[in-house]
Amino acid sequence: MRHRIGIGLGLALALGAPIAYPAEDQQIQRLATQTCATCHGRNGDSISPAFPRLAGQQAQYIEAQLVGFRDRSRGDPAAMAYMWGMASQLDDRTIKGLAAYYAAQRPVHGTPGDKALMARGKAIYEQGLPDAGVPACAACHGAAAEGKENIPRLAGQHPAYLVKQLAYFQSMLRGNAPIMHAVTDKMTFEQMEAVGTYAASQ
Amino acid sequence: MQLLQARGVCATLVAAVVAAIMLAGSTKALAVPSFARQTGMACEACHTVFPELTPFGRAFKMNGYLIDNLPQVKEVTADQKEALLLNWLPPLSVQFIASYTQLKTALPDTSGGTGTPTGNGTTQFPEAFSFFYAGRIAPKLGGFIQVTWANDSDSFSWDNTDIRFADQTTLGKDTLTWGVTFNNSPTVQDPWNSTPAWKYPFSQTSSLAPSSVASTQLDSLGNNTVAGLSAYGYWNNLVYVELGGYTAAPHLTTPSQGVENVHGGAPYGRIAVQPQWGRHSLEFGVLGFSDNATPAGSLNSTPTDQYRDIAFDAEYQFLGDDNIVSAELTYIHENQTLNATAPSAASNTLNTFRLGGSYFYQRQWGGSIGYFSTTGNTNPALYVPLGSANGSPDTSGWAFELDYLPWQNVKLALQYTLYTKFNGAGTNYDGTGRNASSNNTLYLFAWLAF
Repeated sequence: MRHRIGIGLGLALALGAPIAYPAEDQQIQRLATQTCATCHGRNGDSISPAFPRLAGQQAQYIEAQLVGFRDRSRGDPAAMAYMWGMASQLDDRTIKGLAAYYAAQRPVHGTPGDKALMARGKAIYEQGLPDAGVPACAACHGAAAEGKENIPRLAGQHPAYLVKQLAYFQSMLRGNAPIMHAVTDKMTFEQMEAVGTYAASQ
Repeated sequence: MQLLQARGVCATLVAAVVAAIMLAGSTKALAVPSFARQTGMACEACHTVFPELTPFGRAFKMNGYLIDNLPQVKEVTADQKEALLLNWLPPLSVQFIASYTQLKTALPDTSGGTGTPTGNGTTQFPEAFSFFYAGRIAPKLGGFIQVTWANDSDSFSWDNTDIRFADQTTLGKDTLTWGVTFNNSPTVQDPWNSTPAWKYPFSQTSSLAPSSVASTQLDSLGNNTVAGLSAYGYWNNLVYVELGGYTAAPHLTTPSQGVENVHGGAPYGRIAVQPQWGRHSLEFGVLGFSDNATPAGSLNSTPTDQYRDIAFDAEYQFLGDDNIVSAELTYIHENQTLNATAPSAASNTLNTFRLGGSYFYQRQWGGSIGYFSTTGNTNPALYVPLGSANGSPDTSGWAFELDYLPWQNVKLALQYTLYTKFNGAGTNYDGTGRNASSNNTLYLFAWLAF
């Protein structure tokens, strides 16, 4: 698996400033509602946890992922199977447009999961796991898991999708975010399940 | 624009196109790496385990096989309309099926020559080989076109073909995918695998297995006898409606004994609903098909055989990260008025029921179980000449299959079909002492798609 940082992510990190995106674009809307919607849902609210919800996701993050799919720096199994093909012919303008489209959709409200998992997950989300070198997720992802700039919204996401990404970060099957590999390196699967359930429920 | 390269597979396939086209049996096998080449997506995006489709695969089909991520040869008119959109690399693929078939008691050889009973440990290498062009043809026009060489006829024949125009619009607040399909067998164009053209989970069965005396029109109208046109719509990822018709399109060879030709128009209609929740999808629907047929070689003024089919089908799928479960149900009820073939006993019914389920672990290991049953009224005038000693067409049994897929496009399978009844009886169904269980079939096959 390649471990290069995606071009978009690198740029975003370097610039650290809000980027203007062209949102009113018929062609983008058609693409989103006719092609992307097949898996990601009409307004970015996907039905199956196999496909992440995109509604209200951070535009910079979506852009970084689409660039990562296009240049194949993000190569987890579902990315390879679906998104490498989907993104291979997207130009930069279309990527920016899709990112802006989904960022503008109303985010889905999370629903509470198992009580015990939620309690454990809240503790990890807010305080981290100091013994395992895991920082508090809230420090980057925000107190309400809403994300910021190139750091993704987790609130309202499918819990199973979040847990899967954490596992992929740990195993390096997903290699386009080295910081997440460092974060998850010493996590157990139960801890991933707990924090994923909590973050998604926000 | 970067060139798309299918993983590990050099895209320099050159299709040596069809040698000869003759009337012959068709294979129902249909996995198409052409689509993988065109879309850049792995098999698992559209298939659970080929040939079964996922909801995304069904959407791809309903949208005209058009999603592509290949560089295109393009042209636009002066007012910006697309005039040409050809994949730079043709979406071609092939399929190779080799097999070993062993009937419990081999059928006597009827070729009058070799004296080797068929199905007595017969290896077919290959049993079938297909060429596919599957993908975009023009803006908004795509096709699934298959040509197959079959071992049992030693010839190429035209196989499953579905060419369709598709587009999307909005109906109310929701998306409507709509289109027109031009195809050569009722339900080959259908998105669900519970329909007769697909017969999932047992899409692939041995060409040497014996056929029972009767099957419904929906089950038996093959790829070389009719052509059909229908319009369809799929609304809000939930409701599917299709309406159209078929007419005779036999190949221009000398008609053989016993072949019937569809006479005039044969209407076809289909409604299905597919709710989805979490990782589950459940489709249930109704199909209707009706045709008049005349025996080959007869004049247009002769009486016709009338067939009226109505079918119910359902398909359930659970698509987990590691575990995939699916189940299919088909029930076809047919009314026949055979004024041409059996005027003394013209009014008949035939019912076919199939229920099957599959499980796969990580798309590598799995299997299927199925139950099948065809029942109909006893009609000695109709069925005795075809091989049923007591004049009943009833045939039923179970099928089992174990599958191993070392890679997504290679399936190794062990299949066993067990008959509890065949052509009307469990024992001595043909009057010469052959039992239903004599036809039990062990079928080992390797199915490669690339």
